[in-house]
Amino acid sequence: MATLAVPNKPEALESQELLTRVQTDRSCRQTVLIYYTSAVFWLLLGSVLAILASLKMHIPGFLADWEWLTFGRVRPAHLNSMIYGWAVMAAIGTLLWLQARMGRVRLPLPLLLPVSGLVWNVGVAYGMIAILIGYSSSTEWLEFPVPVLGFFGFCLVLIIYATLVMMMRRKVHHTYVSQWYIYGGVLWFPFLYVSALILTQAPHINGTVRAIANWWFAHNVLGLWLTPIGLASAYYFIPKVTGRPVHSYHLSLLGFWTLALFYNWAGTHHLVGGPIPAWVITVGIVGSMMMFIPVTTVAINHHMTMLGQFHHLRTSPTLRFVVFGAMSYTLVSFHGSLAALRSFSEVAHFTHHTIAHSHLGVYCFFTMMMFGAMYYIFPRILRREWSSAPLIKVHFWTTAIGSIVYVVGLGWAGWVQGSMMNNPDIPFMDVVKYTIPWLESRSVAGTLMSVGHFVFAYLVWRMLRGDGADQQGPTLLTTARSLRKQRERKARARERAREVA
Amino acid sequence: MLVVYVVIWGSAVLLGISAVWGLVWAIRTGQFHGLREGAESIFDDDEPVGTPTDFFPGAAPSARAASGNNVRTMEAKWQR
Repeated sequence: MATLAVPNKPEALESQELLTRVQTDRSCRQTVLIYYTSAVFWLLLGSVLAILASLKMHIPGFLADWEWLTFGRVRPAHLNSMIYGWAVMAAIGTLLWLQARMGRVRLPLPLLLPVSGLVWNVGVAYGMIAILIGYSSSTEWLEFPVPVLGFFGFCLVLIIYATLVMMMRRKVHHTYVSQWYIYGGVLWFPFLYVSALILTQAPHINGTVRAIANWWFAHNVLGLWLTPIGLASAYYFIPKVTGRPVHSYHLSLLGFWTLALFYNWAGTHHLVGGPIPAWVITVGIVGSMMMFIPVTTVAINHHMTMLGQFHHLRTSPTLRFVVFGAMSYTLVSFHGSLAALRSFSEVAHFTHHTIAHSHLGVYCFFTMMMFGAMYYIFPRILRREWSSAPLIKVHFWTTAIGSIVYVVGLGWAGWVQGSMMNNPDIPFMDVVKYTIPWLESRSVAGTLMSVGHFVFAYLVWRMLRGDGADQQGPTLLTTARSLRKQRERKARARERAREVA
Repeated sequence: MLVVYVVIWGSAVLLGISAVWGLVWAIRTGQFHGLREGAESIFDDDEPVGTPTDFFPGAAPSARAASGNNVRTMEAKWQR
């Protein structure tokens, strides 16, 4: 292993810290690249499946002649591609990089972690094929057949191990708030996945009991896995990009510990009005209400840290996505707590309102947060600039506008749909007809978001090909001069190639 | 049924113990002291408080680029 050779002079201190940062970023390269590029692939596949599923809601005959493209298969395939392909792989890439960065240690297991990325892909591909050819387990969010656990379990064990090793080797004694969230998420998710799988697949558990285990799991995937990683990113990137420490560090820690205490209880609010014991639902509602505490701390912190710093949104791609995600987090959490109330669920439950809410969470909050993290991390592990500022802006505006249209349109339509269904005088077909224009608007919004995803994938592809300017400083610091030099170098290379030919 | 009881109660007990252990560890090792320094632990002398670190390609202020902190030379040094 290469050793540090830094002259022992006082002014070398600055370069020593820079050197450590370069080394930790470099050590993450293979692993994070594999997780990130696979995540982008599953994002594209998930987007195509999403558009198919959305179109089928208002054009029922669309591609209905192939059984593997029927709604009942395309829709769970979309969900699982997005969750286990895109969201989880992006989360793992981000959390490994953040861990190395914050602990100032190199990423351990330089061989096994990249392999784990490949194994995870095999698991997702296997599960996706199983769903499309009709072997879904038919438990929502857990449609992958049981053997997939073998692939995922192998990777999760390695990731827990890497996390603990980095925790032990860390050079910074203090555990930063993002690290708390990451430790939490990494230790909770494998437990959740395994126990939910056992509790939903065991033969003597069926009917409503299975539904309870199912929704306890589905809610906690967002709350105890995606949320911690998303918030860890927000707590790292907002201060780091703006250069301003977190507004109230006390509150941020309170937020973590209260999330750890309360989130796990909230899952059963998905079954309000369902045929399960009332106390189980009440526990879920109380848990959801208690979530006001961690969410308020996060909302105050992110807003107050950004106060007076909003001009950075013009200049930083990472911050745009991260702040959009942070604002959506506040919105989706408060909305979720209120939606757990029985009076609210009476109208909104079992309507399109729930779909709007889940996209506000997994898309507007988590996915946008991961885009932000990727805009920061890719250039640092490859030491290369993004190749085009206008395309980044296209990506931001298509996904931002698309997701807002999606959530607002479907949220409104769902509420009206619920109110109409509560009125026995309105025939059911009228309710169905009412939703159709809104379902069409969802298809348009989804297409817009997918355009953004393809633009992002193109940017990532150009990043991998090395089309962006080489990085001139420790961060993204391209000057007009360095860009000119880069162009000249490329022109010379082309000329040489022509001469050889 | 035994599996179900083991999963539910076993995991509740394990998670409870690990959470209490985490909290005791955090208090014992002083994780809740020096919160101001803690909040600044993600910054360093090279990227200090007050320095923005992310820009659109080509849009960064050029002053710092000329400061000589070139990643390529850093890496050359490291490999030597």
